[in-house]
Amino acid sequence: MTTVHIEGPRAEQPGYGPGSRTPDGERMLAALAGTRKRLNGCAAAAYAALYANVDVITAYPIRPYTAIMMNLSQFVADGLLDAEYLVADGEHSQLSAAFGAGSCGARAFTGSSGVGVTYAYEMYSIISGARIPVQMSIADRTLDPPGDFGSEHTDALCTRDMGWLMGWAATPQEVFDKTLIAYAIGEDPRVLLPQMVVQDGYFVSHIAGEVEMPTAAQVDAYLPPYRLPFPLDPRRPVSHGPQIHPSQGPPLQLERARAMEDAIPVIREKTGEFAAAFGRHYPHFVEEYLLDDADIAIVISGGHSVTCRAAIRLLRERGVKIGMARLLWIRPFPSDDLRAALRGVKAVGVVETNLGLGGSTYGGILAPDVTGALYYAENRPLVTSFMAGLGGETVPAAEFEWMAGKLTEALDRGRVEKAAHWVGFEEGAS
Amino acid sequence: MAKEVTRQHLPLLEEEGRAAATGDEYGRDRHYLPELPDEDPYQAGHRTCAGCGPAIEYRWVLKAAGQDTVVAGPTGCMYVANSTYLCTPYTVPWAHTPIASGGSFTSGMAAGYEAMIRKGRYPGPYPNIIVMAGDGSAADIGLGSISGALYRNHDALFICYDNECYANTGIQVSPTTPYGSMTTFTPFGKARPEGTSLPPKNLAKMMAAGHPHCYVATTTVGYPVDLMNKTRKGLNHRGAAFMHCFTPCQKGWVYQTSMTVEIGRRVVEAGLFPVWEYDPAERTYHYFHPPVQRPVTDYLAMQGRFGHMLPGHIASIQAQANRNWADIGMDVPASLREGEDPDKHLRLREESYSMPLNRGVGA
Repeated sequence: MTTVHIEGPRAEQPGYGPGSRTPDGERMLAALAGTRKRLNGCAAAAYAALYANVDVITAYPIRPYTAIMMNLSQFVADGLLDAEYLVADGEHSQLSAAFGAGSCGARAFTGSSGVGVTYAYEMYSIISGARIPVQMSIADRTLDPPGDFGSEHTDALCTRDMGWLMGWAATPQEVFDKTLIAYAIGEDPRVLLPQMVVQDGYFVSHIAGEVEMPTAAQVDAYLPPYRLPFPLDPRRPVSHGPQIHPSQGPPLQLERARAMEDAIPVIREKTGEFAAAFGRHYPHFVEEYLLDDADIAIVISGGHSVTCRAAIRLLRERGVKIGMARLLWIRPFPSDDLRAALRGVKAVGVVETNLGLGGSTYGGILAPDVTGALYYAENRPLVTSFMAGLGGETVPAAEFEWMAGKLTEALDRGRVEKAAHWVGFEEGAS
Repeated sequence: MAKEVTRQHLPLLEEEGRAAATGDEYGRDRHYLPELPDEDPYQAGHRTCAGCGPAIEYRWVLKAAGQDTVVAGPTGCMYVANSTYLCTPYTVPWAHTPIASGGSFTSGMAAGYEAMIRKGRYPGPYPNIIVMAGDGSAADIGLGSISGALYRNHDALFICYDNECYANTGIQVSPTTPYGSMTTFTPFGKARPEGTSLPPKNLAKMMAAGHPHCYVATTTVGYPVDLMNKTRKGLNHRGAAFMHCFTPCQKGWVYQTSMTVEIGRRVVEAGLFPVWEYDPAERTYHYFHPPVQRPVTDYLAMQGRFGHMLPGHIASIQAQANRNWADIGMDVPASLREGEDPDKHLRLREESYSMPLNRGVGA
């Protein structure tokens, strides 16, 4: 629980009104209400930011997330969204400007992809440490080298331990919903953490899907006006980010660590409230697909889960008892929910779609977290991981079948062959 | 419906007649200021060094700006020395920013207030928004961020308090460190007797030439009325303003602590820091012509950071000063012309100069 102590004659926080929408924006949202629009993931993120009535948008171009900002710049140009649209001189400045806006009490929206995400790296710890709940919308992309536009989860995952809430969306509808849900969680005074809403570059960001358009009133009721408890406001001056002594460091780090843990019940609560308000029910943390009687399971996040589900249906037809656990949030990592989801599973394969060079599995970033969570399970399953979908490659059904074969072999043998398989580079690979 | 954003207008202080009030026949006291504004948003409670130039600049800027102000401070001396957790010298809201974020964080604050006032979230008026960045932040690692902010023309005042080095980390060279001074990254030695071998960036001219729609000014802590009026003009200017303020660093420059204001005048009188104002409406520079012109040794010899200089180094700095005099439209007296000849100089520590107070060598 975050506590803010301000004493003295100006202890009361001055009021912050709800932000007005433009007349054209009101008309547009009224016309959209109740309709379904075909939007790609980028447009879905932009529409959600429009509904959230963000105050400040900070942009810088890099593929593939750029289309989010192109949509928003058009909304502003057309007078549909009253926001300051700031084109920064780089991603570091982009994040800094969002940080400055958020520190003053404005709802700030930013985003990036690939090396843009890593160019801003300094800002992640600083923003979460200052407890400013800005939102960053990421369409993920492979890091250089080489210059590769394709999706890979490495960019956002590089920042996973910097104190940001982080989740992957697998469809445009989920991008839209998660944008609102993440703001509601992050801005909650019990949490106050920045959020990364991530979608797979191209696979989600550039493929259209149907997105239900709510009413503005629904969104306003679910997502009340941003109200930072300690804004940079001349009516009640505060100092942000002072220098501390080493002895003052650990308590502040502990508070930030607890904020991450405290976010877990708030994520459950806000996901539930979202279902009540909008009628779309998401699992709190882990989507369980055909896990009830499964012997083997794939753990995955993001858009490749769509192919994974189809592959699992094919494998099931052949009698393979396989299921899937999809991580909707990577931070905070859903250790309890993942253990619960995999409680009956005997062998688990983590699909990485990211690069964790030299890590404990010599494969990706996700498996060490999954393995760590499962170490504390009552019936500890076998765990391996699969390097797949790197550099923007698809993960076709045949590759999931190959993974299922490796998991079945492990089950038969009673141990895994190795901690990380490079799919497509091993003997017998599809 | 969008609400109108109302902005503050700060009155200027009278500049005429101040030297006469002190009986100063040369006019060096033209910025004598007995009646400072009462407001003092930069209070006690900081830990700056005795004689700290940036602390003087901070106090005067915030007195000029007043209480309805929001301040950002990128990493540097004036972050580390001013803010100590659970204690703050600021009665106005203040935030630390990363060293490269002076321009960008401040852009975000300005954008946030524009949007919040327009959308009825904040009642207004629009606060004075100020960032005070050191020379490392403004001229080096955060140059692009400040340039971006000036380009976008946010209604804010971007200040560089220039102590000509990375002082907080122990006096390292920055792009405004003068040629011939020593820093801990550019020490003098047998192979490189001058210490810093590169001439400094002309930060303020770069900002004015590159962002011609902005109000740009230079000033020093030697001229309080000028500093406060330029602060107010920068804040009154609708859009981005940049002020480059010369702020001596006692610790890094090694001089007597009581000489901070005197050095702030001598640097101008020696022709080494032209004081000017750029008017974006007319697109013209207005140069201040100091009432006294001095040889550069009158400035250099007060400071230990120059104490190692050899005759050729001094002559080279005098030549630079003479070019500056010509640039601002002042005649160069013959005695200063002669100073361009190395044979007219001794080693700096053997030179005679007015008010020989410090003979240190160090940084």
